[in-house]
Amino acid sequence: MANADPIVDVADLWMSFPGKQPDQPVHVLERVGLQVRHGEFVCIVGPSGCGKSTLLNVLGGFLGETRGTARVEGAPVRGPDPGRIFVFQENGVFPWLTVEQNVGFGLWQRSAAERDERVRHYIAMVGLQGFERSYPRELSGGMRQRVEIARALAANARVLFMDEPFGALDFLTRLKMRQDLVRIWQSENKTVLFVTHDIEEAVQLADRVLVMSKRPATIQAEVVIDLPRPRDLDSPGYLAARDRIFSIMGMDAHGGGVS
Amino acid sequence: MSASPSRAGIGQGRLAAFALPIGTIALLLVGWHVAVVASGSDLFPKPLDVLAGLVELVEKGLLLKYVVASLFRVTWGFGLAVLVGVPLGLVLGWWRPAFLALNPVIQALRPISPIAWIPVAILWFGIADAAPIFLIFLASVFPITVSSMAGVQNMQQVYLRAAQNFGMRGVPLFRRVILPAALPQILTGIRIALGVAWLVVVAAEMIAVNSGLGYLIIDARNAGKRYDLVVAGMVMIGSIGLVLDLLVRRLERIDSVRWGYGQR
Amino acid sequence: MRPLNSVQKLGLGLAAWLALISLLHGGLNLGWWSGKLAGAATQERYRVGFLPVTCHLTCPVTDFINKQTTGHGIFEPVRFSGWPELKEAFLAGYTPATFLLAPMAMALREQGVPIKIVYLGHRDGSAVVVHKDSQIHRMQDLRGKRVAVPNRYSNQRLLIFRALNDAGMTTADIQLVEMPPPDMPAALYAKAVDAISSGEPFMGQAELDGYGRVLWLTKDVWPNFISCVLAVHEDMIENHRETVQELVDGIAKSGKWLDQSMDHRMDAAQFVAKGYYNQHPRLLEFVLSKPPDRVKYTNLSLRRADFEEIEKLGQQAGILKGTARFEDYTDTSFVPDDSVIKAHDWPGLPKEKR
Repeated sequence: MANADPIVDVADLWMSFPGKQPDQPVHVLERVGLQVRHGEFVCIVGPSGCGKSTLLNVLGGFLGETRGTARVEGAPVRGPDPGRIFVFQENGVFPWLTVEQNVGFGLWQRSAAERDERVRHYIAMVGLQGFERSYPRELSGGMRQRVEIARALAANARVLFMDEPFGALDFLTRLKMRQDLVRIWQSENKTVLFVTHDIEEAVQLADRVLVMSKRPATIQAEVVIDLPRPRDLDSPGYLAARDRIFSIMGMDAHGGGVS
Repeated sequence: MSASPSRAGIGQGRLAAFALPIGTIALLLVGWHVAVVASGSDLFPKPLDVLAGLVELVEKGLLLKYVVASLFRVTWGFGLAVLVGVPLGLVLGWWRPAFLALNPVIQALRPISPIAWIPVAILWFGIADAAPIFLIFLASVFPITVSSMAGVQNMQQVYLRAAQNFGMRGVPLFRRVILPAALPQILTGIRIALGVAWLVVVAAEMIAVNSGLGYLIIDARNAGKRYDLVVAGMVMIGSIGLVLDLLVRRLERIDSVRWGYGQR
Repeated sequence: MRPLNSVQKLGLGLAAWLALISLLHGGLNLGWWSGKLAGAATQERYRVGFLPVTCHLTCPVTDFINKQTTGHGIFEPVRFSGWPELKEAFLAGYTPATFLLAPMAMALREQGVPIKIVYLGHRDGSAVVVHKDSQIHRMQDLRGKRVAVPNRYSNQRLLIFRALNDAGMTTADIQLVEMPPPDMPAALYAKAVDAISSGEPFMGQAELDGYGRVLWLTKDVWPNFISCVLAVHEDMIENHRETVQELVDGIAKSGKWLDQSMDHRMDAAQFVAKGYYNQHPRLLEFVLSKPPDRVKYTNLSLRRADFEEIEKLGQQAGILKGTARFEDYTDTSFVPDDSVIKAHDWPGLPKEKR
């Protein structure tokens, strides 16, 4: 795995937006560099508004970089790609479609038989049997995120870009969604790049956590989480990794900042 | 005390949904009657005079004819407005050059009353059904266009991105994502426009058509002291307008658009 | 087959509604099925515009008598509800012939419209009516009052001008408002205006309903007053001269017929009120008989002096420029001599139907 080409390869990426004054652009990303290997689960954490979503949007093809290179699967990102599906924080499930229509959405060019088959499979995988004909407004927030994940998997995405997908869910639902996501990731052999501001979430999920700095943001540190799954949230390894990230971000785990 | 409070509440709610509007109407009718009697006017009709006028129209076979004529014109004028307004609004909302080019024209045409268009309608379409249909079309096409346009412009970015992520573009993107995403707002525009279309039927039938509820009102004015028929025309227009609105509201309950109207 | 979804059901329902309402409209209002059979035999008929006023009475009378005597009309009478729509339909060419206010026809000619007045609609047949409770008994009493006229191009407005002239007053002494004649009786009843003035039967209506009092009839102020004329598009005269001749003859004969006997007028009140104007016959009976010379339908050929007086008053009123003369806006060739016209040879309605 180590000598394979990286799936995501970002080098010296800069990103600025036009500011209020035309001659003073707002610098969001500076000198960002990162790599994600095939099958890896990488989390990006950082303070709110630091630009981690912006970085993910560049990789997803929704924003163009200002300078530098962003390559995914060996080629510069030119736009959205059906092989790399974005899972949105605000939930991109279409409210006018039923659960099964949503999950089958990415398969709009396939035959009906193949579509039905895959839709059934992935609805079962995310545990939404019995809700095939329901509309999103009839589902809870967690169920809607499951629909979105199933939709990405059904379309046979090789890479998932997940932008704080569990941010709007309650604590217990979040825990359950993390477990299920890890289970699905392990069985499907996908590459996941997951943005979150929740350090615990990152440590529970990731093979590696990339910590971003404040704006203009860059990758400040890399923390490898070499812990067996399912992870024991009381184990010393887990707590140590968590505390390390907290301290990199200028806080201690028991509340209060050190800076 | 015996029945559970929630059940009693539901029962009262249903009863109230019928009793309240009917009570209001009854009060209005009584007030109307008393006001006419008190004023001593022998020109303005009492509710029973209007009912007699309606019965007379039914006996002459005119009421059905007139209702059909007005509904025919509104159906075609409004139907054409939907066929033109929805695609036009979607294009304007999606393609900015079209918006820049056409929006000022639309906003300038929008506030012009259909009555002002009557001469144009006669000069272009003569004095048969086409002229009132044109007027109804004009009155309803702008609300539909503007709401369709706003429906696209206000569409949540995330739906577009999700669809593009799955490689969708062009016509399928329009049909499967942009149209359904804008549909709740389009339907709201359609509902407003149907009200407007029905509203202008009187003005539209001022042209020399010889049928319709608007014509009934104008004709009754020509007929001397037949204000009972004037009011009968008003009552019919109001009642049918109510039914039309109830029907369009049912559209908002269709599963694929219900998400757009909040919890009710 | 899969069951229909709600969108498909909606589409089917709308298509069914469109078909249903169109077929109903065609059947009930356009006479698609009955008309096809009858219409196939007759030729395409031209339209003649009119309003439901006694000034235009000869139009429906001619149509009715034609249908009684020959079984079919020679033209299609089209009823309008207001002057602007009537005029616009003529301008657009949908009614190549129309009854129209004389000053309006003259003004259109000045503005370059190829319009020719070929015959008069009536003489007299107008009035100024005040509320019966008012203290207005002479023209001078109208000083400072609000007086309704149908249209700035109406002869009633000129009539007021003339009456003001006669009384040594000017338009500055009164307040003129324009109002559609059908609305005038109610306006007078509500005392929204102090005096109303338009063609019949709306003046008669205010009188008949008991709140209007005639201040004066046209015959008292302007004997042989003309208000409405039969006007024809020049193209029609050039291309279908014999058709215009037939129309004018029919109208002229109707006028003579109406003035032949009071029985004829009462018959006309019946069939016009029911079949053309949708008014109460009593109203037309009233204005056609009380007094009998309230409106007249004889002596309707075009006379230069009548029109020159309108020109003069029209310029004073600011509606005419005087650029079009009698020769320009009239064609007197269709009825060179009114005295040779004979009334329709039709005895009137069968007596049992009365």
